[in-house]
Amino acid sequence: MTALLEVQNLRISFPRRDATPLIPVDDVSFQIAAGELVALVGESGCGKTLTGLAMPRLLPANARLGTDTVIRLGETDLAHASDSTLRSIRGRRIAMVFQDPMSSLNPVMRVGAQIAEAVTAHARVGRADARARAIALLTEVGIADPATRVDAYPHQLSGGMRQRVMLAIALAGEPELLIADEPTTALDVTVQAQMLELLDALRQKRGMAVLLITHDLGIVAGRADRVLVMYAGRVVESATTAALFAAPAHPYTQGLFASIPRLENSASRLTPIPGTVPPPDQWPSGCRFHPRCSVAVSRCRTERPPLEPIGAGHDVACWVASGAAP
Amino acid sequence: MRGYTRLGLGLLVAMALLAVVGPWIAGSPYSQPNLLRDALLPPSGAHWFGTDQFARDVFARLAWGARNSLAVATIAVAVATTVGAIVGLAAGGRDGILGGMLRRLIDVGLALPRIIVLLVLIAAIGRLSTLQLALVIGLTGWPGIARLVRGETLRLRNAPYVIAARALGARPARVLWHDIFPGTLAPVLVAATLGIADAILLEAGLSFIGLGLPLPEPSWGGMMLEAREVLGRAPWLLFFPAAALVTATSAATLLGDALRRTLQPDSR
Repeated sequence: MTALLEVQNLRISFPRRDATPLIPVDDVSFQIAAGELVALVGESGCGKTLTGLAMPRLLPANARLGTDTVIRLGETDLAHASDSTLRSIRGRRIAMVFQDPMSSLNPVMRVGAQIAEAVTAHARVGRADARARAIALLTEVGIADPATRVDAYPHQLSGGMRQRVMLAIALAGEPELLIADEPTTALDVTVQAQMLELLDALRQKRGMAVLLITHDLGIVAGRADRVLVMYAGRVVESATTAALFAAPAHPYTQGLFASIPRLENSASRLTPIPGTVPPPDQWPSGCRFHPRCSVAVSRCRTERPPLEPIGAGHDVACWVASGAAP
Repeated sequence: MRGYTRLGLGLLVAMALLAVVGPWIAGSPYSQPNLLRDALLPPSGAHWFGTDQFARDVFARLAWGARNSLAVATIAVAVATTVGAIVGLAAGGRDGILGGMLRRLIDVGLALPRIIVLLVLIAAIGRLSTLQLALVIGLTGWPGIARLVRGETLRLRNAPYVIAARALGARPARVLWHDIFPGTLAPVLVAATLGIADAILLEAGLSFIGLGLPLPEPSWGGMMLEAREVLGRAPWLLFFPAAALVTATSAATLLGDALRRTLQPDSR
């Protein structure tokens, strides 16, 4: 299986005046195969959104990539690509759907015009054809009465519909990889399920790979092929969805599962992970999870655990889980 | 619609009527045939606002002056807004040398007192036509608009929908024009409307000190300048152009505030 996208040693740093740089994403490596749905899971502030923005190189202007960072898409290394190369890739090969459908659409443009803009950004298409394409895309993302809605302004649509419009815009360039950053967080639970259903159906129909960035493990179950768990700027566990749900290895992943409410034993209390993710300038040495970890040993405090395989397609960065610590 | 907005609209309609219809019903703004008999007449049925020391009908001069003053102000604001919007967009949208230079250019423009710059420019050019006067006033008015547009551009650059547009592979110029510029229009429209009042006052002030439209071309400032000499005998010569000036600037200010309330309900 050749990878569609290969990320090696992704490191994102922000230079600071009079201080060492902030490094909110450090040494992240993973691959995405064509047509695969990979979930990137982690708490707020763990670097998952920055990771998503790094691939099409949409990071804030003051962000720096590591010198040995490689983001390979086919033959191109996006980490060292020119602006014009990046522009030809954005939208056409890598598209994004953002978290907040309220503010990710231009409030002063009709949604049809925004979709048409995405269509004409990469192909020479006439006005009427672009409009027809916009209506077709709205139909594809399941918007009822697309011929009317194409002339609506964003404020005239519900949150779920706006997110569908965002998806239609992202699909306009026929991307090979869709990066969806918390695409359902701002939506009602019932709409969330529809949205994920749609995302999955479109992926299968178009053979498009999807990187689903989320903080919600529940969203991942049953849809993602693989799951990457991030904590404090690093990947701590990477596994197929089945393996991860059967036997989460990293104490952090186990903690995430323990904090999901379940119906079958509603009498028992939830077990939250104590504490919160520290900010990037206060990340501890060794394994960054050790201050919150219930099984941490002395080695965890001083030495960083590498991501190592513990089963078929199951990697974990933990001294205890990989049996390297007493 | 609030009372002030109605008042502003009413004053605007009055000014528009004066400028558009007034010259047509008032006749010539220049001297009456009989200089001795028709000079310095008080307001009457024949001369609604009286006549001045050169036997010219004050209403006619006021109406023709409205055309000049309002045309100068409108063109000046259009020029200032266009230049300011372009400079502001480029300054806010571009990093690096161009953005930095434009930012400093705006700062310099804001730091120079407008009236002094105007005086220097006019001294350099000499006698001005109506269009030249409008251009000169407009070209000294852009820094304020540019600062406003630059600020809005910087704010909108990080708006999620702008990042979404970049994620589609849109070129920086296209993002600036298509996605950022429309978002800056509301405050610009407000500032431009309020700027009309400034431009009217500037034109009147320049004409009053004899540096605006050359006499005997009718303008409100020029009328007040001439009224000074015979003010004791003919106070209506000062009253009517002053009233027109107050009316026009009030209309622009009231409408600007009304626009602000409508377009930017969260400001202030």
